[in-house]
Amino acid sequence: MGVKGAFGRWSSYSLVLLCILGIYTTPAVSVKKENFKTCDQSGFCKRNRAYADTVTSTSGFKSPYTLEPASVKFDHGVLSGTVIKSLADGATVRLPLTVALFDSGVARVTLDEEKRKKGEIDLRHGSKARKERYNEAEKWAIVGGTKLSSGAAMKAVGKVATSVVYGPESKFEAIITHSPFAVEFRRDGETQIKFNDKAFMNFEHWRPKVEKPVVEKKEGEEAPPEDTTGEDESTWWDESFGGNTDSKPRGPEAVALDISFPGYEHVFGAAEHTGPLSLKETRGGDRKYSDPYRLYNSDVFEYEMDSPMTLYGSIPFVQAHKKDSTVGVLWLNAAETWIDVTKSTASANPLSLGIGAKTTTNTHWISESGLLDVFVFLGPKPQDVIGAYSELTGYTQLPQHFAIAYHQCRWNYVTDEDVMDVDRKFDKHRIPYDVIWLDIEYTHEKEYFTWDPMTFPDPLTMQKQLDGHERKLVYIIDPHIKNTDNYPVVDELKSKDLATHNKDDNIYEGWCWPGSSHWVDAFNPKAHDWWKTLFRYDKFKGTAKNSWLWNDMNEPSVFNGPETTMPKDNLHHGQWEHRDVHNLNGLTFVNATYNALLARDKEEEKHNVRPFVLTRSFYSGSQRMGAMWTGDNQAIWSHLEASIPMLLSLNIAGFPFAGADVGGFFGNPSKELLTRWYQAGAFYPFFRGHAHIDTRRREPYLAGEPYTGIITQALRLRYSLLPAWYTAFHEASTTGAPIIRPQYYVHPSDDKGFAIDDQFYVGSTGLLAKPVTVEGAESQELYLADKETYYDYFDFWAYEGPGKEKVAAPLNTIPLLMQGGHIIPRRDRPRRSSGLMKWDPFTLVVVIGHSGDAEGTLYLDDGESFDFQEGAYIHRKFAFSTAAGSLQSEDLTTAGTSTSKKVKAYLASMAQVHVEKVIIVGAPSAWQSKAKVQVSETASGSSSSATKDVPFEFVAKDGGKAAYAVVKNPGVAIGAGWKIQF
Amino acid sequence: MRSFVALLYLEYAAIAYAATDSSRPRGVSPDFAKFYKDPKSFTCISNPSIHLSTSQINDDYCDCPDGSDEPGTAACSHLSPLSPHTPADTVRNTVNASLALPGFYCKNKGHIPSYVPFTNVNDGICDYDSCCDGSEEYGHVGGVKCEDRCKEIGKEWRKKDEARKKSLGNASRKRKELVAEAARLRLQVQDRLQSLGTEIEGQELKLKQTEQELAEVERREKGRVVKGSVSSKAGKLGLLVGLAKQRTNELRESLIRVRNERDANKGRLQDLEKLLTTFKEEYNPNFNDEGVKRAVRAWEDYAAKDKADSNDALDRDLDEISKEDGENGLNWDEYESEEETELDVLYAFENYLPSTIRTYLDTKLRELRTLMISNGILADTASTSTGTSTETKAVLDARSRAEAARNDLTNSRKDLASHTEDLAKDFGPDDIFRALKGQCVSTDAGEYTYEVCFLGQTTQKPKKGGGHTNMGNYNRLERIMVDDEMPADGKGLGSGERIAMKHEGGQGCWNGPSRSTTVVLGCSEENEVWKIMEEEKCVYRMEVGTPAVCEAPGQTPQGGREEL
Repeated sequence: MGVKGAFGRWSSYSLVLLCILGIYTTPAVSVKKENFKTCDQSGFCKRNRAYADTVTSTSGFKSPYTLEPASVKFDHGVLSGTVIKSLADGATVRLPLTVALFDSGVARVTLDEEKRKKGEIDLRHGSKARKERYNEAEKWAIVGGTKLSSGAAMKAVGKVATSVVYGPESKFEAIITHSPFAVEFRRDGETQIKFNDKAFMNFEHWRPKVEKPVVEKKEGEEAPPEDTTGEDESTWWDESFGGNTDSKPRGPEAVALDISFPGYEHVFGAAEHTGPLSLKETRGGDRKYSDPYRLYNSDVFEYEMDSPMTLYGSIPFVQAHKKDSTVGVLWLNAAETWIDVTKSTASANPLSLGIGAKTTTNTHWISESGLLDVFVFLGPKPQDVIGAYSELTGYTQLPQHFAIAYHQCRWNYVTDEDVMDVDRKFDKHRIPYDVIWLDIEYTHEKEYFTWDPMTFPDPLTMQKQLDGHERKLVYIIDPHIKNTDNYPVVDELKSKDLATHNKDDNIYEGWCWPGSSHWVDAFNPKAHDWWKTLFRYDKFKGTAKNSWLWNDMNEPSVFNGPETTMPKDNLHHGQWEHRDVHNLNGLTFVNATYNALLARDKEEEKHNVRPFVLTRSFYSGSQRMGAMWTGDNQAIWSHLEASIPMLLSLNIAGFPFAGADVGGFFGNPSKELLTRWYQAGAFYPFFRGHAHIDTRRREPYLAGEPYTGIITQALRLRYSLLPAWYTAFHEASTTGAPIIRPQYYVHPSDDKGFAIDDQFYVGSTGLLAKPVTVEGAESQELYLADKETYYDYFDFWAYEGPGKEKVAAPLNTIPLLMQGGHIIPRRDRPRRSSGLMKWDPFTLVVVIGHSGDAEGTLYLDDGESFDFQEGAYIHRKFAFSTAAGSLQSEDLTTAGTSTSKKVKAYLASMAQVHVEKVIIVGAPSAWQSKAKVQVSETASGSSSSATKDVPFEFVAKDGGKAAYAVVKNPGVAIGAGWKIQF
Repeated sequence: MRSFVALLYLEYAAIAYAATDSSRPRGVSPDFAKFYKDPKSFTCISNPSIHLSTSQINDDYCDCPDGSDEPGTAACSHLSPLSPHTPADTVRNTVNASLALPGFYCKNKGHIPSYVPFTNVNDGICDYDSCCDGSEEYGHVGGVKCEDRCKEIGKEWRKKDEARKKSLGNASRKRKELVAEAARLRLQVQDRLQSLGTEIEGQELKLKQTEQELAEVERREKGRVVKGSVSSKAGKLGLLVGLAKQRTNELRESLIRVRNERDANKGRLQDLEKLLTTFKEEYNPNFNDEGVKRAVRAWEDYAAKDKADSNDALDRDLDEISKEDGENGLNWDEYESEEETELDVLYAFENYLPSTIRTYLDTKLRELRTLMISNGILADTASTSTGTSTETKAVLDARSRAEAARNDLTNSRKDLASHTEDLAKDFGPDDIFRALKGQCVSTDAGEYTYEVCFLGQTTQKPKKGGGHTNMGNYNRLERIMVDDEMPADGKGLGSGERIAMKHEGGQGCWNGPSRSTTVVLGCSEENEVWKIMEEEKCVYRMEVGTPAVCEAPGQTPQGGREEL
């Protein structure tokens, strides 16, 4: 592990000096932490924690924020007013407040600073930065759901408090206490969320720096001891870390607020971190973290397990959950943010006689700059919160079908020949895959939009071979552009002035893969226009229509920058400081690439396809552009284990198209680990094998038997279930629902399951998976929350919930159950790629539950174009009823769309695709002697239907294995209405 | 949609017709035709208890647990150990589920028939490389039509096949030549062995003789009082001074030389440290290259350690010592003639050295000498120093004659051993690689030229210039299994057991093992490199063609499509 010691430059002079003086100490062992700030090293975090401590320890502390009652206005769903902050010297600061209430039932509370808004402040060091607080995060993150509520109304305007009712049937209420300023949100009269209940609210207003006699200060955060009066100013002005100094031209400007969830024991979210799904407490103590959860997108190599440390992306959205109720908040702020989580248990309240003590979770949000801007979701169901959040920030894009199949990546396939060789070997070993990837080495000396002429002399032939089996190529393009001569891309970047600037407003230069580089400023709309030109097939020669994109290093990663990223006083388009927009940076870059791909293919006749982009850095809203992965993990068991809660955390945060590198990026996995990882990966929404350049090759066919065979089975399982996965993606793309779903989401009433984050359901299919993540495991214990039968996917063994069930899990087995009551669509014919499954028939697995009924859906389209938006898709609901003795296929398409040519052509092309088999698991024993069933099909546009007999086979219960039945070759079209009568 | 369905029915009708016409259903090869002869019913091949109606053959639904009812569709393609399984896959339990058929049979009229995996049937892709008549896409899914291309493909293949056969003929002729050459070389070795035997006998005799002579001379010279070649102007003391002078000179020269070396190394060390300092500053900590990180860490540790003091005073002293004795005021001649006791001389000798460093010099010189001896710079004269310089010329001459004789004998014996070893070495079947030894072939790939020298080393040479990298030295022959498609031109390994040359212990890799190469040999008319791959970091594989492995014993004849 650790290189470390000083992160910055280590001059040979100081080296010699240290040697001579003999005071050199061996560098600390722990690497990563020293490269990244703790709360204590981050001035504003330290200040606000200290503020919270002071508030807590000061009896009778009064929050200095008051809403001026006279200023309160309510108009068309928006309440506005002015909050006054009283300073110790008697002066006041005016903070304009708006509380917006949307039709969707979401409330938004925004607090700005009047002086900054009006530009009545001075910047230090002659900075050219903007004077306002950053108010454009919504421009990038919010895309919908902001229609103001016409039904919202002021309920009471009193001296003490103002109240508004809003939401569905006006069941929601926001009560704003004037002094001290606080907001309480109620649903059905019950308090769900409280702002500033603990009086931690702290809005650092602008102030001029009062120059004091300079005291020699050493690098580091230690406060000079001379500070005696009032506030500790040591972190207000210039701050240094790891040899980089932040000039902070606006001084202290943090915003902080405590948000309490009374009665809620669990909070989920604040992705991306490695800890458990249910967030831990962060203020020290046994099994708690000592630092807050941090959100400051960073290139954290060798990241730690079970840590609140920041990672590559940020979604400042949390949900609190208790039995039968979920609520949430979105903290819309793109600056560095820290979140303290504490829980308190009200001990035996004398008024609640006998009722169990309730736990309240308190969160304390601290951002370095920008607005105080919070969206509030009042549930009550998990999907209500996630759905409303997704409506605001956008639904995950419905990906192209290939994108949810298996991706084969490595840093790096070294030549075009190498790529074609790997492609052939997958076929030779009958292992399906859809996409092969190229990391940075394909470029000519790390110049993006070029090919290395020595190693990739003929990229088009390579892509043609891939296309021969409907496979794709994904290549990497990063935001750093090499600063070198004879490179037109950097020349254009400079001449058009589209790069990020440094604090002096000149083009910023830093180090990344190519050495000296400049960074595309994707906050600039002109940069998007320029970026579009670069991807054109005639501009980046050697790219074909089956090539797609990977955006890495977009935090951005800057090797010689503070915390491996850009200096905070860098300037972006609109003169916003990097500090204000940091967490959005990755999103803007992927957005540019997404737009560029859209433009690239729109220009092509009839090639109106959905872009595919993978990103490492992300923010709320990035899900609209593509997939993410959890960055540079390691080939060790703990990383496999952590991948599941990490992906669940993203799935409930509106970003379900998520995956972790299968096999682990750094290091060489054992064959067992690799096999288990493929078994788990088959259940990642984004499923990609990847490996570091220094690792041994590990394509599945290299593992040898029995491993290769077992891995192939896992891959083929994924492929056969692709119809179910695609349907889940469709649901996510229309409702924001998670694709893999944690226990609390599926069973919101079952409090025993709220903390479980190592098993999950796949979409609405009732498939319950718990991949093995421990070495040498032979079995796995699954938790069944409901009174329902669950069947083993592979042998139909029946388990009865509720309770824990032990399932055998030797190396060749994935613990996978089917919850009764569902119908799962599959395509069982193994093909070389998912594109070649397009015309294959379907198998429907009907899993009969306690009610005797089962239901499932199937969504299908051409898997690549936007034609589905015009209605070119198939959407069916399958319903089985034991009572009626029938299975029926019903149409779920929205009426009136099926008239266009495209739609007709699509449906005609699908007419030959049929159902080849219906498997009924848990079949009633009354069917024992049945040999045939009646099948009737209604052709589309016709009401008449012909009935035919189809062979049927019943297999009786065998010990613990449930009875099942098979309808053989019913031959009905997948897009047609039909009925099977048993 | 109606018309589409109708079309499909037509298609099925065509299948039925084709089946009766050729008396076997679609996808069935002549080898399996007998199972499909009964016009009334069909019995699953590996499960004779399961009887189906003939209409269930190729009805695109998998009935037989061994897949034999669907020889011409993909309906049973999921019956594979590579696919996940559920009880409903094969309807009945406890049946023989191993697959009965090898694949979909393409007749490939005009070319060679072959099997296509069932997974490729009706997937919308024309698999012309194995099914040139396009018959595996008879379903035209998604509108795909695979026309029959057997005529052109077959023609092309036959052309290549002919060339390949011709080339094979040439190759086997070449191989014969190589075998002859190898035999000739082997004979050479055997001849040499024989002559070495005779030589050794003679040399043994000579050695005996010279040793006797030496003993004789030594006996004769024994007792003579005057030893050494030092001038006679002094007695024992003079002799000692002479020796001391000689020795001092020797030591001084060595000191100067070693000091120069030290300074040169110091300079190199400085350069190296500068390099590492820059490296430490500029390396990318995110790259997470364990090797780099280890190096940086080690460098930090190294840099943190106390450096050996560079003491200017000591260096000045060394300057003094390095001066000629005359400049130091030491006049040997005076002592060589003066009458003093041996002890006095030694004492005085030390006195003439700068007193501050007497001890230092003493230890340093001793260390230096030890160092030089251990590095082979100085001969270790400790054991013989008492003898040699005092022996007479006669003894010396006799001794050197004896030593020469011994050396000759040793060399001859070594030669004998190496030749014997050479004969026992594995040079492959017919000793054939003996004839290739030292021959080199190379190919360009990416930014490098790769070369293999038979029984020598494999080398990577950058085209842009710069140093060559040794990718491994030849170590041994091995037999390995390969499983590749044989291209029509025959330039490939095909499948089966092949001879491989293992090259090991090449240049060490930055953060990896030392490079190694496996050179896998296939039959070809010329020695040529077909392919070079880096299978893993610093583990290379070369596929090389050579006539040497054509039709070798224990190897099936290569070439030709695998006829199924």
